[in-house]
Amino acid sequence: MDAKRNMAKEPQPHESGSGQMEGMDLESVIECARGHDAGALGEIYRRYVRRVFGLCRYMLDSRESAEDATSEVFLKLQRFIESYDRSIPFPSWLLRVAGNQCIDTLRRRQRGRRVIVEVDDGAAAIDAPSSEPSPLGAVISKEERAKVRDAIARLPDNYRVPLVLRYYSELSYDEIAQQLDLERNHVAALIFRAKQELRRRLPHRSK
Amino acid sequence: MECYSEQTCALAVDGELAPDEAQRLRDHLSTCQRCRALVDALRAENRVLSESLNELPEEAAIPAGFSPMRWSWGWGDLAILAAVLALGSVISGWFNELDVPAGLEWFNPFSVNGRTNLIFHFFDYFAHGGTAMLADYAAVVGWICLLLLLGGSAMLLGRRGRPHYPGLRLLIVLLGLSLPSFALERRHGDFVTVAANETVDDSLVAAANVVRVDGVINGDLLTFGRTVEVRGTVKGDLISFAQRTEVSGTVEGHIYTVSRTLDMEGQLGHSIYGAVQSLHIDDRGRVGNGIVVAVGDASLEGEVKRSVNIVTSGSTDVSGSIGRDLTMIGRSLALTNTARVGGNLSARVRQLNEVHIADGATIGGKRDIQVRVRESSFTRPRFYFHQAVWLAGVILVGWIGMLLFPGFFRATTQLVGSGWLSLGLGIGILAGAPVAMVVIAITLVGFPLSLMLLALYLAAIYLAKIWVGAFLGRILLKPSGATKSDWLLGLLVGLLILTIVGFIPYLGGLVRLGVVCLGLGAFGGQLYRASRPVMTT
Repeated sequence: MDAKRNMAKEPQPHESGSGQMEGMDLESVIECARGHDAGALGEIYRRYVRRVFGLCRYMLDSRESAEDATSEVFLKLQRFIESYDRSIPFPSWLLRVAGNQCIDTLRRRQRGRRVIVEVDDGAAAIDAPSSEPSPLGAVISKEERAKVRDAIARLPDNYRVPLVLRYYSELSYDEIAQQLDLERNHVAALIFRAKQELRRRLPHRSK
Repeated sequence: MECYSEQTCALAVDGELAPDEAQRLRDHLSTCQRCRALVDALRAENRVLSESLNELPEEAAIPAGFSPMRWSWGWGDLAILAAVLALGSVISGWFNELDVPAGLEWFNPFSVNGRTNLIFHFFDYFAHGGTAMLADYAAVVGWICLLLLLGGSAMLLGRRGRPHYPGLRLLIVLLGLSLPSFALERRHGDFVTVAANETVDDSLVAAANVVRVDGVINGDLLTFGRTVEVRGTVKGDLISFAQRTEVSGTVEGHIYTVSRTLDMEGQLGHSIYGAVQSLHIDDRGRVGNGIVVAVGDASLEGEVKRSVNIVTSGSTDVSGSIGRDLTMIGRSLALTNTARVGGNLSARVRQLNEVHIADGATIGGKRDIQVRVRESSFTRPRFYFHQAVWLAGVILVGWIGMLLFPGFFRATTQLVGSGWLSLGLGIGILAGAPVAMVVIAITLVGFPLSLMLLALYLAAIYLAKIWVGAFLGRILLKPSGATKSDWLLGLLVGLLILTIVGFIPYLGGLVRLGVVCLGLGAFGGQLYRASRPVMTT
């Protein structure tokens, strides 16, 4: 693997990790990983495990489930990385895989029922103009961000999953709709309601 | 113009509004302060959400409880473990070179002759409360301590500078492991003999049609052959896999054998352990210790100094002398007038009239003859208890495996699904592995390697039902298996079904064989897959 060695010529200082892959750019690492290079897969793991685990942790209810899902994602990665076609950035692709994994897990837990049920009253009711919108504040402290996370974690699956997919995985409404097998306007409604619910639960941040 | 709803504004802020609609909203914002304030606030809210979510919770900072390449770490650690064993073997070879006084031999945990004996001794003495137990125990502890010491150093060193690829590590270790085996003398051919005037100073590994020892072997004799005859002296153990094993000379150690017939006409220093179809201790034969065997038929005409434990499918005839107890389970038992049992006689037979004890036979202890009633095992509660314990054991092993090698276990479970491929591969491995082990033991890199393979082979046979069970459970419960608990639940269900099916006459045996083959195949396939990325780099 001469190519690999060449690419590793300029290792950048890094706190720890898997040797020669550390300094490589993402493209090369992915290229090596597609050839089932264990080192490259390890490097991808090292770079993205926190992000993937974060998503799984937000989407699933326990640390253990999140760990399992994360393991599963990286195991799948070994098999599926060949199918990554570069049409979207790799981190987004990886998070999409992770999101699907979590949704599968949630779905299995519900014995095949839909994870996210459609909102009963549709979008119309929500579309009424709100006279007193009071979104969460603009700049908040670290403690308050933790509270926001906490509040998100306590949201029902229905609200939490689309919200996390939108603001953590940064998926579009269409992509979320596709992952959750829902109509786009339902996704919009769910995200909207999730935010309203958050505002309700975090009243001190109003205004 | 009428103001926009909050949701429309939210869509706009999320960039999800259709372009023309978005344009109209922008136009409106330029004139409406209220809506502008709303959009700004929503934008700020989105930022708060993103920032809060992206600042991962503390627990996500150390996702150290798992790893995607756990198999590779597993291999690495396995390699270190093997390296420790290799080092142990090398040192043992060197240690063996030293001239240890006979009186201190028990202190030498590395004597090639003694190591396997040690384990047997340990349990034997433990059971019989022999005085030598402490000595052997000390040797075992010493051996383990030294290995731990070596292991600790190797772990410390290994964490820092071990080669990058686990496959390479494994290879180095295997090569290292096999080194001591070069010290063994190996002979193979159609006819291997140790002539009467010849002395082999080391252990001898012999594979031949006929292996005949007329001379002296100072170490162990390990043989694979059709006929193995020991007419001379083996100072260590005799380990034989043969159609016919015949000892008319002297074996000073133990005999471990898997043979069709074992004829003992000579002297044996210690015990016989093994599985033979026909065991015959001639009236000239003397066994210095005891006998623990599973046999078809046994005929004891000579002298056994200690106890005899026999499980037989046929008959046991005793006309010689047994120093201590005779314990047998089988079809029939006959003691002639010349028979002498120093201790207790306990026999479990099918029918009482299958026991013939001549009047002249001497039995020092108690007689305990029990008739085994062939009642259905299903009616006994103990049967269910044993099954439950067995099941719990398998589940526990599965759970531990899942904890240590989650990726490998999951992937192997999945591979069971490749059906005929796994089955075919499994049959190949089941039949081929023993052949490969024998070949490796004799001709290639060495005996330790084949022992390692044997351990792996046996472990895989045991684990096979775990993988197949987990797969079956997964199919039945739903296409799931994501969390460990799902996997374990699947395993429980699958194993229950396999166990129950396994008790169906005839079909059950086939199913069990199929399960072993499927599991072995999946294991082999997964091993290949797991090693492939390493090989391609």
